Amino acid sequence: MLARRLRSKFPALSRRWQTTASTTAIEPPPAGGHSSSVASSQLFRITRESALRTPGISWQDEESDRNIIGGRETRKMNLYQAVRDALSIALSKDDTAVIFGEDIAFGGVFRCTMGLAEEFGRERVFNTPLTEQGIAGFGIGLASMGHTAIAEIQFADYIFPAFDQLVNEAAKFRYRSGGHFSIGGLTVRTPTMAVGHGGLYHSQSPEGFFMGASGLKVVIPRSPIQCKGLLLSAIRDPNPVIFMEPKILYRSAVEQVPIDDFSLPLSRAEILIPGSDLTLLTWGTPIYHCESALRLLNSPPPSLAPLIPPSLRNAKVELIDLRTILPWDVETVVESVRRTKRLVIVHEAGMTGGVGGEIAAEVGKRAFLRLEAPVRRITGWDVPAGLQFEKFNMPDAVRILDGIMETLSY
Amino acid sequence: MMHPLSFRHSSLLTRACSNGRTLSTLPASTSLSRLPPTHSPTVSKLAFFNSVTGDSSKIPSYRVLDVFGVPIEGAKVPEISKQFAWRLYEHMQLLPTLDDILCSGQRQGRIPFYATSYGEEATVIGSAAALADDDEVLSQYRETGVLLWRGFTLDSIMAQVFGNHEDSGKGRQIAVHYGSKQHHFHTISSPLATQISQAAGVGFALRRDPARRSKNVACAFFGEGAASEGDFHAGLLLAATLPSPTLFLARNNGFAISTPNSQQFYGDGISARGPGYGVDTVRVDGNDVLAVMNAVKEARRRCLEGGRAVLVEMMTYRVGHHSTSDDSYVYRERQEVEDKTKNDNPITRFRLFMESRGWWNQTDEDELAFRLRRDVIKAFKRAETVKKPDLKDMFTDVYVEEPWNIKEQREELMALLKKYGQVWEPWQNELRTLKNGGKPVN
Repeated sequence: MLARRLRSKFPALSRRWQTTASTTAIEPPPAGGHSSSVASSQLFRITRESALRTPGISWQDEESDRNIIGGRETRKMNLYQAVRDALSIALSKDDTAVIFGEDIAFGGVFRCTMGLAEEFGRERVFNTPLTEQGIAGFGIGLASMGHTAIAEIQFADYIFPAFDQLVNEAAKFRYRSGGHFSIGGLTVRTPTMAVGHGGLYHSQSPEGFFMGASGLKVVIPRSPIQCKGLLLSAIRDPNPVIFMEPKILYRSAVEQVPIDDFSLPLSRAEILIPGSDLTLLTWGTPIYHCESALRLLNSPPPSLAPLIPPSLRNAKVELIDLRTILPWDVETVVESVRRTKRLVIVHEAGMTGGVGGEIAAEVGKRAFLRLEAPVRRITGWDVPAGLQFEKFNMPDAVRILDGIMETLSY
Repeated sequence: MMHPLSFRHSSLLTRACSNGRTLSTLPASTSLSRLPPTHSPTVSKLAFFNSVTGDSSKIPSYRVLDVFGVPIEGAKVPEISKQFAWRLYEHMQLLPTLDDILCSGQRQGRIPFYATSYGEEATVIGSAAALADDDEVLSQYRETGVLLWRGFTLDSIMAQVFGNHEDSGKGRQIAVHYGSKQHHFHTISSPLATQISQAAGVGFALRRDPARRSKNVACAFFGEGAASEGDFHAGLLLAATLPSPTLFLARNNGFAISTPNSQQFYGDGISARGPGYGVDTVRVDGNDVLAVMNAVKEARRRCLEGGRAVLVEMMTYRVGHHSTSDDSYVYRERQEVEDKTKNDNPITRFRLFMESRGWWNQTDEDELAFRLRRDVIKAFKRAETVKKPDLKDMFTDVYVEEPWNIKEQREELMALLKKYGQVWEPWQNELRTLKNGGKPVN
């Protein structure tokens, strides 16, 4: 009922059905095949009921003090469809919102903007020339005038020409003007992380490089529902946000996603699996490798059983998705570690200069006397992401399992 | 002697006015009315300019042969031997033969990725033929033809595309990211235009080396899309100003993935930018291999003589998709591609020219097609059986020496492989594909 009322109030929302519905047709599998961890994950909310009960959902209806979920609808979406859905809502409700970047107009190289140029016009959804520094600068300028600028950098590996604009300008914009100028309306979206066959320049996780750029926010979703809610929050957040979407999840992560306008909170981590013996903290694609690792630990297959001491098999590991990398939710993480006394951090980016180091230092300071093992980081090696070596570079279920066992038995 | 190519100099700008009146027709000024820092003359009429050609027309494209392979009026056909013509043609056919087989190899799942050069054979082979074999080439990713011209073997091509242990790049990069020190072809990287500013530095090294000064140029290839990056500005500016003997060869093939020229720039292509940096510039019909060869030869001569940047814009058409990750019929009409292939085909054009000279016939065509296809398939099948590189190559070449963190990480992986490598099936399977697979990384 509510959804129908909304659709009559916002005819654009009805049109959204058409642009997104046409592409939920059967999709060929991604070139590298689905990641087996993702394919077998129990963490996706694949029913309407569970989707509508996603923790932390804040419905952005007109009467936002009511948390009514009856009558709300969901639709099956993968990650890129969830991105598109969020972008469509953002443009419907905010006349100043525009989306721009390379190859945006025809739908984008990952289909995140399919149908949007047709729906909202080329004045609001458009291609830029091939220049990341230009895209960032342009977006900052647009946002400085109070407009909502949603930029896309085609691959996170190509964000570096924009680094000067993002770090020297975007991050410091409000501060340097004494608070008189700001660019809260800027959101930079970019596909990130390994995809199986990306090699050096289509696999990087550059979130660590931005940790020193106070003034920016960095957000990384793990699933379609998370992506839609976090992206809408990011777009509406009054600070500039870099939104990194794990590209291997674009087609392989599928959930029932509420079709209404909703947001999920930034700078709040989420406990996915409660536990008491060890805290396992990660974000993005490795969430699913962590999930697989816990399954291997709790019920090891015959091939691995000899290597997994029975005493460890009952360990209850608490799995946390950090979600916002900067500023990160220190309270949730430290509260968890105070209980479990052990922390393992997993990320695809290399060890040195990775986000794990920052978190480990802060947790070490706040929970020093509680810890019963050193904070363990399981990360990509300090090498570029060589194509033929990817399977032994990015942390997988067995590497994570081994790190958990080592930390449990320290 | 060649038909005069129209290289544009920066002085043209001073003769361009929006109202047609030229500054050069004004009375000569006294030295007092020349303004620093450029010492340009002063005028009383406020006149804006926006044309490199002086009359707002488009910069013309130099051409030798028309689409039927017939020399156009006034053209000077270069004096080439039948043997050389055969070499040009064979390489122009080798490229698409290679592309056909590797492209379908990707569709069959035998290689994960590939990028073709369809439609740009004359652009790439013509330029390659005009360079010296030891000119330093920094390419983007659609200039495989340059490597083929220089003798890079099919086995080397396949090794890189398959990422097996014979690849000089040690399987670290995705397909078509070739490199060959022996062939003076700098290893390709995916980020666009990074090679353009690097080329200016390569050129400077050549200038500083007494053994190579005035003998070799650095040569950067890039597409018209990459020319939108900041590195384009930096590269041209440095090579023009310092200066350094750097050739800038722009392939304007109409598309940057889905982005057509009309959304890439508003000016008259890439050529219009050259005079902005004060560099000799020419636009050439990129589908005419003889015109490309002539133009690049002359550009190279000017580059060596002046020790300064020279810009060549080669107008062509990307017949193929951007890569195997792209379906271009989503953003352009199939009919447009078919028409282009039929009406302005660089390979057909040159074949007709050769036939008109009595240098080529159908038998030659059939024999060549058979031989090229046989050789490519043979190399493909062989490369498929070669194992992936040794796992130790994941950790080498980061630095020259091995710092503590990489050493410890290598040892950590070694310990993990020892513990799980024989019992965990996914790891077993992966290790089996690697050279020395299953053995600890030492």
